[in-house]
Amino acid sequence: MADQPTAFERFVQGILPENPVYRQLLGLCPTLAVTNGMKPALTMACSVAFVLLCANIVISLIRDLLKPHLRIVVFTLTIATFVTIADRFLAAYLFQMSKTLGPYIPLIIVNCLIICRCEVCASKQSVFTAAADAIGQAIGFGLALSSIAAVREILGTGMFFGMRVLPEVWPDWVIMVLPPGAFLTLGLLLGLVNWVGIIKSRRSS
Amino acid sequence: MPDSNKKLDTIKDFKSSDVKENTAIHVAPSPHIRDTKANTQKMMIDVLIALTPVVLVSVYLFRAYAVKQLLICLVSCLIAEYVFVRMRGRSMTLKDCSAGVTGIILALSLPGSAPWFVGVIASVVAMGIGKIIFGGLGMNIFNPAMVGRAFVMIAFAGLMSAGSYENITGLVDAVSGATPLSAMKFNNTSVEFSHLFFGNTNGSIGETSSAACIIGGLFLVFKKTASWQIPVSIVLTVLAIAGITDVAKAGSGLFIVHHLFSGALMFGAFFIATDPVTSPLTSKGKWIFGFGTGMLIMIIRLFSGYPEGVMFAVLMMNAVTPLINRWTNPQPMGEA
Amino acid sequence: MTNFRNNNLAQAWLVLVIATVFGTALAGIQIKLNPVIEANKIRETMEKIPSLILDPSQAADIKSHDLVIQSRVIEIEKNGISKFYPVYDVHLKDGSLAGHVTKAKGQGYADKIELLIGLDAGGNAITGLFILDQKETPGLGNRILEKPWRDQFVDQPSGTTLVVVKSKTGPNNEIDGMIDGISGATISSRSVTSIVNTTIADIRPRLLPIIKKENIIRQENE
Repeated sequence: MADQPTAFERFVQGILPENPVYRQLLGLCPTLAVTNGMKPALTMACSVAFVLLCANIVISLIRDLLKPHLRIVVFTLTIATFVTIADRFLAAYLFQMSKTLGPYIPLIIVNCLIICRCEVCASKQSVFTAAADAIGQAIGFGLALSSIAAVREILGTGMFFGMRVLPEVWPDWVIMVLPPGAFLTLGLLLGLVNWVGIIKSRRSS
Repeated sequence: MPDSNKKLDTIKDFKSSDVKENTAIHVAPSPHIRDTKANTQKMMIDVLIALTPVVLVSVYLFRAYAVKQLLICLVSCLIAEYVFVRMRGRSMTLKDCSAGVTGIILALSLPGSAPWFVGVIASVVAMGIGKIIFGGLGMNIFNPAMVGRAFVMIAFAGLMSAGSYENITGLVDAVSGATPLSAMKFNNTSVEFSHLFFGNTNGSIGETSSAACIIGGLFLVFKKTASWQIPVSIVLTVLAIAGITDVAKAGSGLFIVHHLFSGALMFGAFFIATDPVTSPLTSKGKWIFGFGTGMLIMIIRLFSGYPEGVMFAVLMMNAVTPLINRWTNPQPMGEA
Repeated sequence: MTNFRNNNLAQAWLVLVIATVFGTALAGIQIKLNPVIEANKIRETMEKIPSLILDPSQAADIKSHDLVIQSRVIEIEKNGISKFYPVYDVHLKDGSLAGHVTKAKGQGYADKIELLIGLDAGGNAITGLFILDQKETPGLGNRILEKPWRDQFVDQPSGTTLVVVKSKTGPNNEIDGMIDGISGATISSRSVTSIVNTTIADIRPRLLPIIKKENIIRQENE
C-alpha cells in the first residue's frame, strides 16, 4: 500500500485540487437543485458530510471482509442507512428545511460522490485516512455548493443567508433562483475555475 | 499516419484572411454561406436596411421609449462584443455589424417600458452567453438576441410579462392597454385588423406593425439574405392551426387575424427565425424548421401561461437545428 | 446442492449481517423520531388556525390554547372519485363554534398549491386564507403569498363563486366575489381562486348538519 496517498494528502486533495464538483464533476444533482439559497445549500452540504463521513468510516472498518463482487451492495446499504437517518433527523428537528429540500435529501443515496469515496479510498485504506478523506471531500463539496449558492442568492434575491446585502433598488434576477440559473452559474464558475487553473499552470511553466 | 498529421497542421494554420490570396479548398465551421468577413458584413448591412421600416415605425409609435431602448441595446451590445472578443484575444469583429444587428433586434423585441438595466443585461447575456461562449459568430447554437431576451424575460418576469406592457398607458399616443394577444387570451377582447396591420397597438416596440415587418422581410427575401422557406412555412403553419382552432370554436376569423398579425409573429418569422447561423442549411430542413417553429408558437400561445411564444419556439427549434441538418444533409455518393 | 447454497450464503453473510444491523438501527430511529415528525406536521397546520378564524383584534386577546380544535375528515364523492378534506372545527373556550379550517390542494402554475381556508361557523363566509406550500415563479406567481392579496378573500361570502378580474378599480372594489388577479400571474391567481371555490362548494353542505346537531345538543343541555 505504499503508493496510496496519506491521510493528510487525502484531506488536502478533497478541498481544492480534487474538488468533487469543480474537478470531478460529481454530485451535480444537489449542486444544481438546492443552491438557490445559502441555507438549503449548507444544510445539504452538512447532510452529505455526515453521510460521507459515516459511510467512509463503516466501509473502512469492514474493508477486509468485503467480497469484491458484493462490495457495491454493501456500499449502497451503508449509504442508504445513513441517508435515511439524516432525512429523519432533518424532518424531526429542522422541519421547514426538510420541506424545502424535499426529495433531495433521500436522493443523496444516489450521489456518486459518496460511493466514489467508498470505492476509491475507504475500501482500501485505514479508518483514519478514510475519515480524513471524507472530511476533505465534504469541505470541498461544501465550498462548491456555497460558492454557487452565494452567487445565485445574491443575484437572485439581493440577500445572503436571508439577510439583505444589496440595496432595495436591486432588481432581483429571478432567473438565478430558478433552475436555469443553476446551470448558468455552475457552467460559468466551472469555466472560471478552469481559466484560473490554466493561468496558474502557464505561470508555473 | 504522418500524412494525416500533416493535414491537421495545414488546417490549424489556416486563417480566414488567407481566403483571398489562397484559392485552396476552404475549411471552416458551418454555415458555409458566410465564409468571409466581407460577406458577413454585406449580409448584416442588408439586415440593417431591412430593419429600417420597423425601427421607424417603432420610433413613431413609442417615441422616447423606442429611442431609449434602441440606444441602450445597441451601445451595450457593441461594448459587450468588444470586451468579450478582447477577452478571447481575437481580432476585432465589430466591423461585421453582427453585434449591431443583434442589438437592434433585441431592442425591438423588448417592451418600451422596460427599465435601462433590462436592455443592458439582455445585451451582455446575448453577446456573452448567446454567442461568445460558443466561439463567436457562426458557432452559436441559439439566436443571441433571443437568448438575451429569454434571460431577462425569466429574470425580470414582472417587468417583461404581459402586465408590463400596460405600464406605458397614457404616455404614448395611440397605444395603451394590454397587447392584443394577451387581451384576446385573458379578456376575450379583440382589435381591428388595420390597427394590427399598421401597428397602432401595444407590444414590444418592434413587433406591433406587421406591415413594416413584411416590407423589411420581403426586402431580405428578395436580396436572398434570408431564405423564403422559413417565413412562409411558419406563417402557413400558424395560419393552419389558428384556422382549425377558429373553425372548432366557430369564431369569426378575428382569431386567425390576431394570431397572424399581432404579437411577434411577422417580426419573428422574417428577422429572428431566418438567422442563417441558427437555422438549417438545406431547403428541406428550412421547411421542417419553419413548420416546427409555427407549431411551437401556437402550442405556447394556446396552451401555456404566456400569451406569446415566438421567442421560446425559435430557441427550441434552434436546439434541434443540428439534428435537422443531419437528417436533411444529402448523402455523398457511395457513403450511404 | 446444499453445498452450493451454503457457499452462496457464506459469501453473502456480511450483506445479511449489515442489512440486519442497519435495519434494526433504522427501526429504532423511526420509533424514536416518528412522533416528533408527526407532531411537526400537525403543528404546522395548528399554528395557523387561530389567525385564519379570528379577527386580528380578537386573535390578540385569545391565546391559541384557549381554542379547542377538533379534526375530522370530510369525504366527497365526485365523478366516482372520492376526495378527502381534513377539516378542523374550532371552538372557543365557552363551547361556541368559532369556525372551520380546511386544507385543500390543487394544481398551480408550476406545481401543486396547498392552502388552508378559514370559514366562519356554518361556512357562510371566508375568514382567512393561508398558502401552506407552493412552488410558483418567484416574483410573479409566488406573490399569492403576500398578505394584501390573500386578504381579498377575507369576508367574501361563500355562496358566490369567486372570479378573478384584471383590476377592480373604484366602485368595483366593494363588489363581492371579485378577486384582483396578480399582474403577470393570472394563472396562479386563478388556481388559488378555483381551489377555494371548489373546496367551499364541496365541503359547505357537509359543515352544516354537524352544527345543527351541536345546536340541538347545546339546547338540550340548557
